[in-house]
Amino acid sequence: MKPPETTPESAAATAEVRLEAGGRAVVVLRGRLDSLTAMGPWRQVEQRLHGVAVTALEVDAGGIEYCDGSGMALLHCLQMGFLTPGATVTVRGLTPELQRSFDNFSAADYRASVPPPPLRNHIPTDLGRGARAMARDFVEQVRFIGAVAQGLVGTLFRPRLMRWDEVMRVFESAGANALPIVSLISLLVGLVIAFEAAQPLALFGAQIFIADMIGLVMVRELGPMMAAIILAGRSGSAFAAELGTMKVNEELNALQTMGLDPVRFLVVQRVVASVLLTPLLTVYAMFMGVLGGVLVMLGIGFPLVAIYNELVLRLTAGDVLIGTTKGVVFGLIVAAVGCLRGLQTQKGPSAVGASTTRAVVSSILLIIVTDAGFSILLYVLRQ
Amino acid sequence: MNDHDIAIAVKGLKVGYDHVVVLKDISFEVRRGEVFVILGGSGCGKSTLLKHLIGLFEPMAGEVWIEGVNLVAAEGEARRRLLRRFGVMYQSGALFGSLTVLENVRLPLDIFTDLPERARNLVALGKLKQVGLAAAAHQQPAELSGGMQKRAAIARAMALDPGILFLDEPSAGLDPVTSAGLDALINDLAENMGITFVIVTHELPSIYAVADRVIMLDQKTRTLIAEGRPEALRDHSPNPWVRQFFKREAEPSVTATPTTPT
Ligand SMILES: Nc1ncnc2c1ncn2[C@@H]1O[C@H](COP(=O)(O)OP(=O)(O)O)[C@@H](O)[C@H]1O
Ligand SMILES: [Mg+2]
Repeated sequence: MKPPETTPESAAATAEVRLEAGGRAVVVLRGRLDSLTAMGPWRQVEQRLHGVAVTALEVDAGGIEYCDGSGMALLHCLQMGFLTPGATVTVRGLTPELQRSFDNFSAADYRASVPPPPLRNHIPTDLGRGARAMARDFVEQVRFIGAVAQGLVGTLFRPRLMRWDEVMRVFESAGANALPIVSLISLLVGLVIAFEAAQPLALFGAQIFIADMIGLVMVRELGPMMAAIILAGRSGSAFAAELGTMKVNEELNALQTMGLDPVRFLVVQRVVASVLLTPLLTVYAMFMGVLGGVLVMLGIGFPLVAIYNELVLRLTAGDVLIGTTKGVVFGLIVAAVGCLRGLQTQKGPSAVGASTTRAVVSSILLIIVTDAGFSILLYVLRQ
Repeated sequence: MNDHDIAIAVKGLKVGYDHVVVLKDISFEVRRGEVFVILGGSGCGKSTLLKHLIGLFEPMAGEVWIEGVNLVAAEGEARRRLLRRFGVMYQSGALFGSLTVLENVRLPLDIFTDLPERARNLVALGKLKQVGLAAAAHQQPAELSGGMQKRAAIARAMALDPGILFLDEPSAGLDPVTSAGLDALINDLAENMGITFVIVTHELPSIYAVADRVIMLDQKTRTLIAEGRPEALRDHSPNPWVRQFFKREAEPSVTATPTTPT
């Protein structure tokens, strides 16, 4: 037999279809049937047999010079009656070699490999499964918090286990490299809020209070929140992807067999770095946000001294402390959730992507809920 | 390149990454229908050479001719036609994780042919049966063992019945029985279908079972150090390290030893 690569596209295969009395049909195939050429004869046969009630189909394959897997598949399609449902089909005339490879595959093989039916969904079962998964997730989270705390305490007593260079790496990638985007977002948010407030406040001649508002909003609420959300998007996702990839590559198993606890070896560094980092990032975000408001006020025509006095009058050290504390808590949430989602990564190609998404969504959700909790707590404490 | 019996011709090839030269002065020819084996110690550049033979990377110098077409210069439709003529099995299998095994094998047919879907499924199933994986057709690649993934990758490489098959360490990680079955499959395809094989492998039994000709790469000199039939190299190679490799001896006797083959 000739090797297949010499196929000139012109040496196409041909099919001849004869319809005979009594629902009999004969298909005569000739030439080279391969993945390039087999389609022509197939279409011819399909057209000629379309709408014809065939009871017996005879395929004369004697004229086939070369036949690759694709040609073979078309012969099998004919034999299984895909074009002539219900007809008895005979394929004859194949060279012994081709006959051998034709016989290697049968209709039984085809039937045996029909995909399994998809699992039926059942609402109560789904509900039960979902509830159980949520419960398990909750238990896992609690256990994880415990493990992280344990790891933190453990490294306090043996600081050499801390891997400070890893902490520094996270510090740089999650902190220093985040400064440009934190600057831009905080500044713009401050600008926009101040700008939007300036117009209604002008009606009352109260534009000087823009300073009070932007100061309070940025320092107590938005500064920590923006810093944390940026941290979640940039670094929480990265933690999940890093640990998830390590899990998929069985690196976590390797660590465990070396007697190293993944939490102590990988998670604690990220949590510590994030907790040390967020106060700085938060204060920076506060500053940039307030700066945005100040720029708007300068544009309106207030002198810097007036703005400064107003800010200092309104803002207390307590406000800054509250904002920074929030930042620390948010940082803890982002790092812990990112790492947990990474460690929870399942098998499969989209698993790491799914973990990353879950990390960002869960952290932002938790940040908002925690922030609401802070507001309630502070309100109650002030009473 | 008028010689009709030459499937692949490599001339003065120099390959590497960025500015690091991995191999240089590589010239050889692969005859049509031949099983051609690339040997060498681990890390000497076998996979790198293979990736250049299939046009994945551009060489630093030299030419690769496949079926009389200069792969390095081929572009557009000519390149596409050329790509269709060979199948590749990567060292890691490189199955698409989001597709089932059957869909993986069917993918080249989906892209390059307009066969009806049933026929494409049949081709893919036939190939899977050839490598003994028909039962795993609807599983995800992640659910298969390493050896099964390799076989699935071979089935995918064969989907279009290409004239040339490139296999990077096909039998690494397979048990001896499966490995022998694979050798038999390679011999069958080479003899009966006239398929040309370019195989990277370390498995001595496999080499003796399938190889018509081998070349051997060396990490120290970064080039070809031997070319010929495996039995001839084992018995008559002037290079002691080459003889040692084929006799599967340990290192000590030879001083100029490249990295131990794995
Ligand atoms: N993507 C890459 N970038 C840079 N160097 C590489 C890359 N892949 C491989 N190398 C280097 O090229 C050399 C040959 O590697 P490879 O071809 O994979 O060896 P092998 O013979 O084991 O298949 C090795 O030294 C390796 O470090
Ligand atoms: Mg390799």
